[in-house]
Amino acid sequence: MTDMPEAGPPAVSVSGLTKRYGERAAVDGLTIDVPAGVVAGFVGPNGAGKTTTMAMLLGLVAPSGGSGTVLGQPLGTPAAYLHDVGALIEGPAFYPALSGDRNLRVLAAVAGHDPAQIPGLLELVGLGGRGGDRFRGYSLGMKQRLGIAAALLGDPRLLILDEPTNGLDPAGVAEMRRLIAGLARGGRTVLVSSHNLAEVEHVCDWLIVIDHGALVFQGPAAELLDSSAATVVAAPEHARDLGDLQRLLSGAGHDSAAIGGELVIAVNGSEACKLAADVNRVAGAGDIVLAELRATRATLEDRYLTMVNGGDR
Amino acid sequence: MIAVFNAELLKLRRRRLAIAVAAGALVFAAITSIVVFLSAQSTGGERGATTLGTLAEAGGASEAFAVGTSFTGILVLVLFIANFSSEFSQGTFRTLLMREPRRVALMAGKLAALLAFAAVVLALTEVLTVAVSAVVAPTQDVSTAAWFTLTGLGDAASAYATSLLSVAGWASLGVALAMVIRSAPIALGVGIAWSGPCEHLVADVWTSASLWFPGLLLEALAAGGTDDVAYSRALTLIAIYVTAALGAAAWVFARRDITA
Repeated sequence: MTDMPEAGPPAVSVSGLTKRYGERAAVDGLTIDVPAGVVAGFVGPNGAGKTTTMAMLLGLVAPSGGSGTVLGQPLGTPAAYLHDVGALIEGPAFYPALSGDRNLRVLAAVAGHDPAQIPGLLELVGLGGRGGDRFRGYSLGMKQRLGIAAALLGDPRLLILDEPTNGLDPAGVAEMRRLIAGLARGGRTVLVSSHNLAEVEHVCDWLIVIDHGALVFQGPAAELLDSSAATVVAAPEHARDLGDLQRLLSGAGHDSAAIGGELVIAVNGSEACKLAADVNRVAGAGDIVLAELRATRATLEDRYLTMVNGGDR
Repeated sequence: MIAVFNAELLKLRRRRLAIAVAAGALVFAAITSIVVFLSAQSTGGERGATTLGTLAEAGGASEAFAVGTSFTGILVLVLFIANFSSEFSQGTFRTLLMREPRRVALMAGKLAALLAFAAVVLALTEVLTVAVSAVVAPTQDVSTAAWFTLTGLGDAASAYATSLLSVAGWASLGVALAMVIRSAPIALGVGIAWSGPCEHLVADVWTSASLWFPGLLLEALAAGGTDDVAYSRALTLIAIYVTAALGAAAWVFARRDITA
């Protein structure tokens, strides 16, 4: 994750953004802000409206309603801001008969970017030795990498990446995660949609959760995770001490449940570490040696599933 | 638009493509020259029919080229439909529009580049056809003395311009079909069916069809005018059709969501 940037104008700000296809609202009055300089995770179930929202930001799809700005320019004027935006949306699309290098040169020519940066970009995404190969011969992972390289043409201030780890093997996912984290350095804003919540949790410092085209949550990722449930688990060295420990903790104001040879205490995510220290102190004061003490916070996936399945809006 | 034009040319500047185009032009030159010279009658025939006498005139050098290119309309239509509709099916219009969101400029730049490429291919084809014709002519006792004169050069330039106008017309109609329909199979089906059998079947029962239908007008244009359709009429109506078709395509492209 990157350090949270100073408050400033958001890189993306939309209000009441709506896209209707007949009676169905793919995006329904969405109001979001993406602060400049963050890596923002854009998550939601399939069909939640993530790609449609990104397509509207990129001028590919016309909104049915709402307004907003991208890099300070009005949403309806993509020519005013797209020169500073790099994007990969709905998978990498290139000319199959052209090499990766030639495909990037075509895009650089269209946008008026310097083609001298292309070898460096191919190197950055791990295609340094394969830029001369035809795109049709690339694996899915290589195509994704080329898509990232294309998005980076012109050193954009805002990157919009739609499921960039699709088709990558675990090693590729980890590498892409490092790459995305690196891309955010230097004040660049990254908006990345993903189904891979572990990836989002590791990389993003800002989260936007949508479902059925509507906003469920937006804010710092830490805020979402800290507000979620956590548990502290303590196991005494000797099983006979379990009852004594439970009484001592109860006396200190901590209700616990004995499960197997362990005591489990539910707590708010932000309090978990402090509670674990308390448990350790109480056990020590009672001459009970702990064989195990751990604080387990809910993962983003747990929190996400609660939100999209449990009406947590 | 100029940036898109240059980018499109970058796609076309490939050695394999250049070799394939040159080989195709040579085969075209060989076939049309041989067929035209071997099928030319000694004298007479219908108005406009090629005779050994007309082949010996100044315009004889480019006769095979003019006859050959007059049959390439459907091929040009197919190539331009395939090129533009594949941008939708491959998702490359999406990739391009994220770099150049001015859609009309994107469409116009791409079409202009492809027409420029077609102009070069036509020029190469004409040069090769004249060369092959010069080799074949003596075998049919056709003199080439009048070919390489100023009049001959003028006739060759005129044949080139007529072919280029015809190609531009077919190309523009193909682009319009591709941009409006987007699906390559459907656009090809509509384009080929209409300009091939449909127009000719209608023309069999309605004699004025050749005065109005775009495919028949383009055929008349490529032939330099016919008994039924004057060159100027064909040129004027085709200009109207092309303007309307490209205008409709640009209007649709500028307003439609790009979801593929």
